[in-house]
Amino acid sequence: MTEHEILEAATQAVVAADEDKAVEVAKEAVALGLDPLKVINQGFTPGMRVVGDLFERGTMFLPEVILASEAMVAAVAILEESLPEGQREKQVGTVVLGTIEGDVHDIGKGIVATLLRVYGFQVHDLGRDVALTTFVDKVKETGAGIVGSSALMTTTMVGQKALEKMLKEAGLRDQVKTMVGGAVVTQYWADKIGADAYAENAQEAVAKALELAAN
Amino acid sequence: MTHKERMLAALAGAPVDRVPVFSANQTATYGQMDVSGAEWPEAHQKAGPMAKLAMAAHTALGFDAVRVPYCQTMESEALGCGVKYAGREGIPRIDVHAYHIGDPISLPDDFLERGRIPELLEAVRILKRELGDEVAVMGNVVGPFSIVANLIGITEALKASFKKPESLLPLLEVAEQAGTVLGRALVDAGADIIVIEDMMASIDVISPPIYRDVAQQPEARQVAALSDVPTIMHICGKLNPIISDVAATGVSGISVEPTVDAVAARAVLRELPRHVALIGGVDAVETLYSGTPEDVKRDVRKALADGYDLIAPGCSVPPSAEMANLKAMVEAAEESRAPQPA
Repeated sequence: MTEHEILEAATQAVVAADEDKAVEVAKEAVALGLDPLKVINQGFTPGMRVVGDLFERGTMFLPEVILASEAMVAAVAILEESLPEGQREKQVGTVVLGTIEGDVHDIGKGIVATLLRVYGFQVHDLGRDVALTTFVDKVKETGAGIVGSSALMTTTMVGQKALEKMLKEAGLRDQVKTMVGGAVVTQYWADKIGADAYAENAQEAVAKALELAAN
Repeated sequence: MTHKERMLAALAGAPVDRVPVFSANQTATYGQMDVSGAEWPEAHQKAGPMAKLAMAAHTALGFDAVRVPYCQTMESEALGCGVKYAGREGIPRIDVHAYHIGDPISLPDDFLERGRIPELLEAVRILKRELGDEVAVMGNVVGPFSIVANLIGITEALKASFKKPESLLPLLEVAEQAGTVLGRALVDAGADIIVIEDMMASIDVISPPIYRDVAQQPEARQVAALSDVPTIMHICGKLNPIISDVAATGVSGISVEPTVDAVAARAVLRELPRHVALIGGVDAVETLYSGTPEDVKRDVRKALADGYDLIAPGCSVPPSAEMANLKAMVEAAEESRAPQPA
């Protein structure tokens, strides 16, 4: 395969949510001695962007997005192994992410994490069922510029409000921007609790994070 | 009309003196805990407090129906999943998924004696004893696809639903049986209405084809097995693309979030050969939790204009929502009451 064909196949593998194929393409790229960063940035990343677009338009649904995102992560892991030290891309910003304590799952947040990485953020993903103090500690430890929290239930969204308060009390609120999302969360809620941004889906989360990082 | 008559009539599409008000989903608030003296976590675990807190939806708020339980973990716990409690503040959740795809699974013979199910059934008997035929008593079960998400984890369930839907069939079958057996037992204990919460079958989560191929058939089997009582299906998200498929399960009513285009949904349902009630209209977060009683009344008036048959929050009631806001739902319904002939 030519480099062009590899880049094309990489994009296709992610859009098809085909992890086996994505891994195969990544391995072939390494065997051919192609520039791993170029394969990530011009092959796999555009695939994930297409997936994000299709999801936003309602022509692709969550099950495929999860599989596409796993295909992307598996392929990038292989390519990064062959990346010389110090050749990592400059990060556009650091994000701490997590799902509020008490919530049942973190699928959406996981996809946001993958997409943010695709767009060049360093992401500290705290996972699901995260205590508020853990968010605050991680922001302190990493000096992150953005902290994103997801809430899926009306019983857990109040945690996002409490997080705003805790960040203030810890003296961190001036240095960190807050983003909120999740099934029950709306722009109205974000405004009400004083969060800096709300995103409806992963694609929008990236756009908002890029905006916040630029300011 | 009694509260119960009003609920049953509205679900059947018969005339009512005023629109009924209730919540198909979790209804308890800290305010109701304060006035009833029953609170979480005991109300998740013991029949007495469970019933006492549920009753507050009628005695303190004036709702036309009361419901138990408050969580969505009863069946999954009885099937072996680990449950983590959240004290007075929140609802129990699954923290250990007991199964993997391909594991042998069957409904245990003693399913109804497992976990907190005996307490749940006793709570319904208490409610029936206390409220008689005045107020509708509702028992909630979790829909088949949502139980499967609890059993194996939602991510695994979603991936399989796309890649290998047939691998979910044995799990879906047992999940459906679990909810159906529990639903039957709730009816035997005195429940007037069964609500099926299949929140994970939302098309915010799965695609319409996956809903039709994977989630809908077990739902329909469950509804058929419970057809001697009215059934309400609650599914989250913008349901419009599958609203006729949900109706095709045979349910008496569909409970939806305010993101649903209610006018369009109502138009689709009107074309069906039988009455299917549209339930919801009040935004649980923006209005009930963040708004004022006047905001709530505005939601109710709009919901009535849009064609909702029963007024309810579109999602679980946030436990910290003010009682005044919940009561405003009933006040707005009273204001809509048809003028009595002189």
